[in-house]
Amino acid sequence: MPPALQVEGLTVEARIGGALVPAIRALSFDLGREKILGLVGESGAGKSMIGRAIAQLLPPGFVVASGRLAFEGQDLVRMHPPQRRRLLGRAIAFIPQAPLTALNPVLTIGAQFDEHLARIGSGNSTERRRRAITALEAAQLPQAGELLQRYPHQLSGGMCQRALIAMAFASNPRLVIADEPTTALDVTMQPPIIRLLADMQRRHGTAIVFITHDLRLAAQICDDVVVMYAGRAVESGPARAVLANPAHPYTRCLQLANPSMRVDRRTLYVMPEHMPSLQRLATMSGCHFAPRCPLAADDCRATSPPDVTIASGRRAACIHVTATSGIVAIEKPTVVVKTSSRSVLLVERLQKDYVISGRLLRPARRVSAVKNTSFCIGENEFVALVGESGSGKSTIAKLLVGLEQPDAGRIVLNGTDLVPASARTQKLRAEGLQMVFQDPYSALNPRRRIASIVTQAMEAGSRQASWDERLRRTEELLAEVGMPADLAARLPGQLSGGQRQRINISRALCNLPKVLVADEIVSGLDVSIQAQLLNLLTRLRAELGFAMLFISHDLAVVRHLCDRVLVMYRGEIVEQGPIETVFADPRHPHTRALISSVPPDEPSAMWAKLQAN
Amino acid sequence: MAKVVARCLRSPRVLVAMAMVVGIGACAIFAGTLAPHDPAEQNLLSILTAPIWQTGGDPNFPLGTDSLGRDVLSRLIYGARTAMLVAFFASLGAMIIGTILAHISGYFGGAADWMIGRAVDVWMSFPPVILSLILMVGLGIGLRNVIVAIVLVDWTRFCRVLRSEVLVVTRNDYVAAARLLGFTHWQTIRREIFPATLPLLITLVSLEMAIAVVVEAILSFVGLGVGANQPAWGQMIADARQYVYQSPWNLLLPIIAIFLTVTAFNLLGDGLRRTLDVRLVETGR
Repeated sequence: MPPALQVEGLTVEARIGGALVPAIRALSFDLGREKILGLVGESGAGKSMIGRAIAQLLPPGFVVASGRLAFEGQDLVRMHPPQRRRLLGRAIAFIPQAPLTALNPVLTIGAQFDEHLARIGSGNSTERRRRAITALEAAQLPQAGELLQRYPHQLSGGMCQRALIAMAFASNPRLVIADEPTTALDVTMQPPIIRLLADMQRRHGTAIVFITHDLRLAAQICDDVVVMYAGRAVESGPARAVLANPAHPYTRCLQLANPSMRVDRRTLYVMPEHMPSLQRLATMSGCHFAPRCPLAADDCRATSPPDVTIASGRRAACIHVTATSGIVAIEKPTVVVKTSSRSVLLVERLQKDYVISGRLLRPARRVSAVKNTSFCIGENEFVALVGESGSGKSTIAKLLVGLEQPDAGRIVLNGTDLVPASARTQKLRAEGLQMVFQDPYSALNPRRRIASIVTQAMEAGSRQASWDERLRRTEELLAEVGMPADLAARLPGQLSGGQRQRINISRALCNLPKVLVADEIVSGLDVSIQAQLLNLLTRLRAELGFAMLFISHDLAVVRHLCDRVLVMYRGEIVEQGPIETVFADPRHPHTRALISSVPPDEPSAMWAKLQAN
Repeated sequence: MAKVVARCLRSPRVLVAMAMVVGIGACAIFAGTLAPHDPAEQNLLSILTAPIWQTGGDPNFPLGTDSLGRDVLSRLIYGARTAMLVAFFASLGAMIIGTILAHISGYFGGAADWMIGRAVDVWMSFPPVILSLILMVGLGIGLRNVIVAIVLVDWTRFCRVLRSEVLVVTRNDYVAAARLLGFTHWQTIRREIFPATLPLLITLVSLEMAIAVVVEAILSFVGLGVGANQPAWGQMIADARQYVYQSPWNLLLPIIAIFLTVTAFNLLGDGLRRTLDVRLVETGR
């Protein structure tokens, strides 16, 4: 019996400025029936391209140049389009990354489900309705009958994803492509969705291609993994074996760059630079990972490395596989950071309500985004604020920096209450309290040069520094955040996401503030870029000395970086304390839920969350 | 900036439109030297002369004469001066008022936004041509009053379109960041928001110029325009109406002039929108 999906020498080429650049190079793997295969890699690795190649929905300019993509022995690339259409949505189903955008907002869940069932040809409308309800109930959605009347925006992201999973499995598919199915959801939604996916897979005997950036998650649910880098499969093999003992330096570095939840805090391994873009790939020779690889030697840069078989079923595209286990994060001497008990920022009984204006026959409601919240941040202390989306984390950030006015409470910075709005408090805020924004694209004015962005504080208010003065400060600040000085004349559009986030940080540091508020500043970035930034923040704290309120949903990152944690749930801080204490012995059920939603680091450990039920 | 100019110069749409606008603008500026005759000079001995490509044409009057024996070519050239003056100053005035109100409305929001928004709603519910006719009756004829009337009618167009652009720009984190760094509201608007709305503004001004030319022609046509002593295309159409069977060219020529001018401004606006709009540039190519 042929395997569910057999990929042989698949090459996808992209037309970049006249030249053809391989976006996927000679990719081969087999996915056996009823197995789960993880495609792991950072953004730009080409992992989503497989799903698109199967559906023949490649972006404009991309073509399958050679190779086979065989579904149960039939080549999807050379198949007649009508025949392929008959397979897609029936024998091959897709689960998208962003459930809310995958559903039509103007149709009810019922209408969309019915349309899908009608397309795969199942009975009359009463029978379809019955099947839809059964499918939704199988996806653990309560009150399925009522749910069919609802519109997508009336459901949470997790419920939409369950509905989409139910839809995908409704046709009893033999292959499912799941492209980062939990990335757009809240952290606490991750375990139940993954568990549901694994359940459905077992029940229907489906083969799954699971596309993810999270090596730990892949190890938990996949049978095999393929690690991709710059369009090439750099390592493949049984999931747990790959994670336990990576053979390719990239897999090893990725693992060392990921902050851990359980073992001692260590310096994160930092890969220099970032993954080459398609434009750069066109002119690169030799191993594409060589510029970032700690093992790179001259022979790596000369020719593209062959696939080396390490053990049965395990291959890695590297000529130095034996040295991989020797890569370790360089232990930096632990910098002693002076934290004193003197608090630099004191927040007392902070309250913020939003009024949801009433409509006809519906009175106005008040919703508390932040309820009676108090905490303090000591000098040079990094405090984490964690919680789900909608728990009020970002509102706290906005209240602190003055983008929103609190309804009650005090925000005391160095002994001065900042809440009464006046020119003096605004000036104190601008000098002592700065914010780093989440989205590095929206946070930088695309029309300003980097030098002008970084020293923007020097043209604020009545302070008009000379251009020479500003250029000097730019040089200092760029050196602080580890960027070359010749970037000063560039525009933000010419920088990568990680570089933009460094600029974002350096702008906030221009006035040497006492407190930095950072709202999810590493969440949109790849693991290797995230590691660079986390190490940068640790170094800057030691060099410049500032306190930080670090808002994040990623507990491993928080554990790596911060000293103390505040757990927020529905507008209130439900638990706070030193990170190690809280994570070792969580008291509040929500804290426990957050902590258990992170898959374990050790591949041998079983994720308790997957075993439940 | 140099990049933007280079991109504009590569667009055939912009190049053709620019050439036309420059040509008409040159007629307006150098009307005194270009026109063979005084536009008000009457030759009662040669009235309704045909243009030179028809029998009975007089090389002295290349495009013929009107019912009072005035040279049509000279009147067209001086008419261009009137049209361009109105187009330039009316769109400038409408732009200034509309832009200021749009920034106040979009940036501050709240009560100011509500008030300006409702004022625009009420203003726009009047038919624009009738409103300008009423204004002209009240203000009296004359070049300055035509400009004032057009400004008072058309600021709403700028205000409404720009407000939504300002809203979008204001939502960017870099605007919040500027405030946190201690920028005053005025500094934030001037350095962070206004430059971002500039491409749209340039496009709108270009389109507004076309509208101003049409409105000026309409007002002159009904005799509520710049006044009888100043040549204007609308007036020429009105004069030629009675003799349309004897000399159709007298009617056609000013219409062609209006058509070319409006087309030039519309083409320019469309071409600039395509080349300046960042969103179109990013996705379109």
